[in-house]
Amino acid sequence: MSASLSIRGVDKIYHPRGRSAVHAVKALNLDVDRGEIVALLGSSGCGKTSTLRMVAGFEDVSAGSIMLADRRVERLAPAERNVAMAFEGYSLYPPLTVRDNIAFALKRGRLSGSEVAERVREMAALVEIESILDRYPNSISGGQQQRASLARALVRDADLYVLDEPMGQLEPQLRAVLRGRLKRLLKDRAMTSIFVTHDQTEANALADRIAVMEGGVLQQFANQHDLKERPANLYVATFIGEPPMNVFDASVVRHDDRTVFQLDNGPSLGFGDNEFGPEARQAIGDRRKIVIGVRPHRVVLGGGCGETARVVSNQWLGDQSHVAMAVAGKLMVAVSHERVRATIGESVPFGLRARDLHIFDADTTIALAHGARAA
Amino acid sequence: MAQIEIQNLCKSFKDNAILKGVSLSVDKGEIVTLFGPSGTGKTVLLRLLAGIYAPDAGAIGLRGRDASGSPPEKRGIGMAFQNFALFPHMTARDNIASGLTARTTDAGVIARKVDAVAHLLKISHVLDHSPRELSNGQKQRTALARALVADPDILLLDDPLRNVDAKLRYEMRLELPTLLKRAGSTVLYVTQDFKEAMALGDRIAVLLDGEIAQCDTPARIYAEPANVGVARLFGDPTLNLIEVEPRLIDGAPEILVGGARIRLSASYAAAAGGTYLLGLRPESLRLVDGPAPGTIAVDVVAVTPLNEKSVLLLTMEGSREVLASEAGDRDEPRLTGPAHIAFDMDTVLLFDRASGQRFIPADDGGGES
Repeated sequence: MSASLSIRGVDKIYHPRGRSAVHAVKALNLDVDRGEIVALLGSSGCGKTSTLRMVAGFEDVSAGSIMLADRRVERLAPAERNVAMAFEGYSLYPPLTVRDNIAFALKRGRLSGSEVAERVREMAALVEIESILDRYPNSISGGQQQRASLARALVRDADLYVLDEPMGQLEPQLRAVLRGRLKRLLKDRAMTSIFVTHDQTEANALADRIAVMEGGVLQQFANQHDLKERPANLYVATFIGEPPMNVFDASVVRHDDRTVFQLDNGPSLGFGDNEFGPEARQAIGDRRKIVIGVRPHRVVLGGGCGETARVVSNQWLGDQSHVAMAVAGKLMVAVSHERVRATIGESVPFGLRARDLHIFDADTTIALAHGARAA
Repeated sequence: MAQIEIQNLCKSFKDNAILKGVSLSVDKGEIVTLFGPSGTGKTVLLRLLAGIYAPDAGAIGLRGRDASGSPPEKRGIGMAFQNFALFPHMTARDNIASGLTARTTDAGVIARKVDAVAHLLKISHVLDHSPRELSNGQKQRTALARALVADPDILLLDDPLRNVDAKLRYEMRLELPTLLKRAGSTVLYVTQDFKEAMALGDRIAVLLDGEIAQCDTPARIYAEPANVGVARLFGDPTLNLIEVEPRLIDGAPEILVGGARIRLSASYAAAAGGTYLLGLRPESLRLVDGPAPGTIAVDVVAVTPLNEKSVLLLTMEGSREVLASEAGDRDEPRLTGPAHIAFDMDTVLLFDRASGQRFIPADDGGGES
């Protein structure tokens, strides 16, 4: 499949007056396939919004190129890029009703009046703003403005849909349903989309692939399964996933046909070569110090497990238990979809399986092995 | 013994009745989370307890004594409020210590206590900063530390983790109950986050429309909400509500859901002839092989992963949308298209259409606590 959006070697350097330059985006390469939904995810200041603004044309690139639908667009004005946008600061036109705001996006097309009305009705229904179509932007709530601006972007035909925190201000009750509808619409009509969010729940829910950014650098670009199961480095590993991955500093020791991870100030976890296979052993090589990680949902609680730990807290959230245990001087969290009966202070058995371990280089923080496979 | 005893408390601002007869008692050493949507009067209730506002009617008892007339400084209550209220000219350390200096002048004791609480709240590295050098999350934890450092026997906390970033907030959620239990404080804790309310509270008091709609253990409130308003506040995603009219068919209660006839247990017989909302939590809906008796035909419209579960947007007969969630890892992604769902009878919630109250099945003697 050919890339619809292709970002090549793009840098963004800001020169704030009287202060030193800020390198917001560094040598970014990113390809978005036709019909694909991509999320730019990261904490504030990671470079995701600068990237989105360069794609939309609100910011110049400092270096590099942006191809969209086989055209070089990085020097074109926003209106010349055939991009549909729902953006903070790209607000609704105050003198127009919500209906006319949405319809305005279609005016330059060749649609009849009834076709325009039908498209507006469809998008208004999708984001549930039918009842406010005849109101003016300044008389509706922030959440409603956001939905209206989303409808205005989605209603038109474009080479790319650029969305900034599309569900940021919506009521939680509405969000889950809207996410489902939006994803279905984008997939059904193969609408190539790129959106920014700081909320990984939103990224996971909507995106085919997620670009995790930090410090202006793309850390990993993968689907959510790979981000969880094969994180490229410790940053991605601990950023993706709620609750975050449990991580421990550890030393590696070989005993005959066993690999033993001695957690700093904690227990040692031994695995036979049949569990922790040659590929993973080779990836670790002769390193002594590593970081070992395991996701909370993969910590096994109960009888038959090797180690025990003291329960620090046990919280039932209605559909899952979160159990925190004292391990190696920190908290190790286990999440279970069954209700766990353990009291605070009690020692409970726990186990980690070789296939659920993530191993990182202690110095570079780059992933070495995931489960029994090399990274 | 009740350490906090609130009876029939009322408070209006101008013509706006915020609290309409709130009664609540909190036992010694208990943590009660006060939970509800914004604007329901949670903060007002804390301020009444602290003595910052005077009630229009009702009584406040603290440690077994009527406290209604006593001024804030005589109530002996520790507080951390949303607006931090830190002294701008003092370092974080001195702000925290200001909670202690009225009680002890031993500099060694003060330093030890401040260091201990700062360590627990993960602000040791900013103790020498002034408030304007702190992030909002750090300010909030400094205010919390100041409230905790004196080991007050009654502690009022107004959404103390609100501005803390998600990862730290999660850690604090795990550690805070232990911290509070160790201090032995009686705590009333305001939050707008249902997970925080469930995680931290021995009991949750749900404040809705100026009244306590329900006060019970987190598990009971989730499984047996008093009314539809309470039910909708818990769960992610929130529960599905479907209009149903139970009928007796051959003596057994039955409902029509998405075109399928679903038999309810005999304990719902008394609901026959009424109009109800069927409440189904997304995690209690399962995709099953069908068609079969008790299953409902659906179309899987979209699959949206949510952490370690997947949320499925489904449509039933008549384009009615429902959400289901599946726990755990699937080797192959769930595909969109036709499917069937079923639900466990012991997860069924029925709410009266008119009053919103939950229908109590005949054999429901109490359930788990």
